[in-house]
Amino acid sequence: MRKDLEQEFVQQLEENQNIVHKICRLYTNDRAAHNDLFQEVTVQLWKAYPKFRGDSKFSTWMYRVALNTAITLYRKSKRRVNTQDYDSVQFKIADEIQDDEQMEQLSLLYGAVKQLNDIEKALVFLYLEDKSYREISETMGISEVNARVKMNRIKTKLTNIINP
Amino acid sequence: MDQLDILKSKWQSQTSDVPNYSKEQLRGLLAKKSSSIVKWLLIIAIIEFAVFAVLGFFSHGLNVERNTIAIIGKPFYYGSIILHYAAILVFIYLFYQNYRNISTVQPTRSLMNKILKTRRTMKWYIWYNLIYMMLVTMIVAVLTIEHDPNIVKLSQTQEFMEHPTLFYFMMLGAFFVVTLAMCVVLFLIYQVIYGVLLRRLKRNYNELKRMEI
Repeated sequence: MRKDLEQEFVQQLEENQNIVHKICRLYTNDRAAHNDLFQEVTVQLWKAYPKFRGDSKFSTWMYRVALNTAITLYRKSKRRVNTQDYDSVQFKIADEIQDDEQMEQLSLLYGAVKQLNDIEKALVFLYLEDKSYREISETMGISEVNARVKMNRIKTKLTNIINP
Repeated sequence: MDQLDILKSKWQSQTSDVPNYSKEQLRGLLAKKSSSIVKWLLIIAIIEFAVFAVLGFFSHGLNVERNTIAIIGKPFYYGSIILHYAAILVFIYLFYQNYRNISTVQPTRSLMNKILKTRRTMKWYIWYNLIYMMLVTMIVAVLTIEHDPNIVKLSQTQEFMEHPTLFYFMMLGAFFVVTLAMCVVLFLIYQVIYGVLLRRLKRNYNELKRMEI
C-alpha cells in the first residue's frame, strides 16, 4: 500500500519537479542551499501527501507546500559554499535562439526579483507562474484586493531597483 | 510593468544549473529526515518539558528531608507538587494540540500564525514555571526563616538580635535575588533559542500582516 503510494508520489514529483527547482533557485544562492531546500520541500510534500485527495491538481497543491516550506519552515543555513558552477542570479532559458539585449534585461529583472523579501518573492513567483489573484490570495492567506495592491507596489519596486 | 510580463512569457522555459532528479534520486530524498523549524520547535519543546519536569522533581526531591516537610507542612508540600505536574500535563496537551494543527497545506499566513501560537504556548509554559518557582521559593523562604532551627539560631546571635527585622529582610532578600537571577538566566537562554529559530518567520509574518492593514 505504502509502496504504491510512494511510486505514485515519486512519479508526480518527477513530472512536476521543475516547480520546486524554480522556487529553490529564487530562494537560495548556492547549489548546496538549493539542494537543501529541495530536500526539505520533498520531505514536506511526502509528509503531506497521504492527505492529498486530488480535489486540486497535484501542481496546485505542490505550490502551497513548496512555498510554505521555502518561506516558513526552511532554516537558511549560514554556510556559504563557493560554487562557480551555480549561477542563481542569471536568468537562463532553454532555447538558444534569443536576442542578447532582451536576455540581459531579463537577467537584470530576475536579479531584482531575487533582491525582494521572502513574501514579495512568493507573490512574484505565483504571478510569473500565471496564477490568478484569487489563487495567489488563497495560497498566501491574504485578501485578493491586497494581493493586487501589493503586486502593483512590487512592480514599482522592481522598476526602482532596475533604474535607480 | 511590461518587463515583468516579458519575464513571465519566458518564465516556463527557464533552466536551472541544478540537474533534474531521477526517480531513484527522488526516492532517496524521501528517506531523509526533515530539518524544518517545526521539527526544531518540537525538539526544543520536549527538552523544555523535560528540563522543568526534572527541575521540579529535583527541587522537591531535595526537600524531602523530613524537617523541610515539617517546616512547610504536608498540605503545602504535596499540594504544590500535584498542582505543578497537573499544570505540566495541561501544557503538554495544549502544545500537542497546537503542534497537530501545523500543516504545510494551509495558506502561508495561517501556517505562520499556528507556528507562532505554538511558540506562545511554550512562552507561557516558561513563564508559568518561572512564576511558580518564584512563588514556591518565596513561601518556602518565609517558612524556613521562621522555623528552620539553624536560621533561628543564627538570628539569635549577638549581631542579629538587635535588628530582627533587618535580619528577616536580608534573608528574604537573599532568597529573592538568587531565584530572580535564575529566572533571568533561563529567560535569556529561552529568548536566544527562539530568536534564532523564528526571527525570519516573524519578519515574514509581520510583512503579511502589514499588507492587510
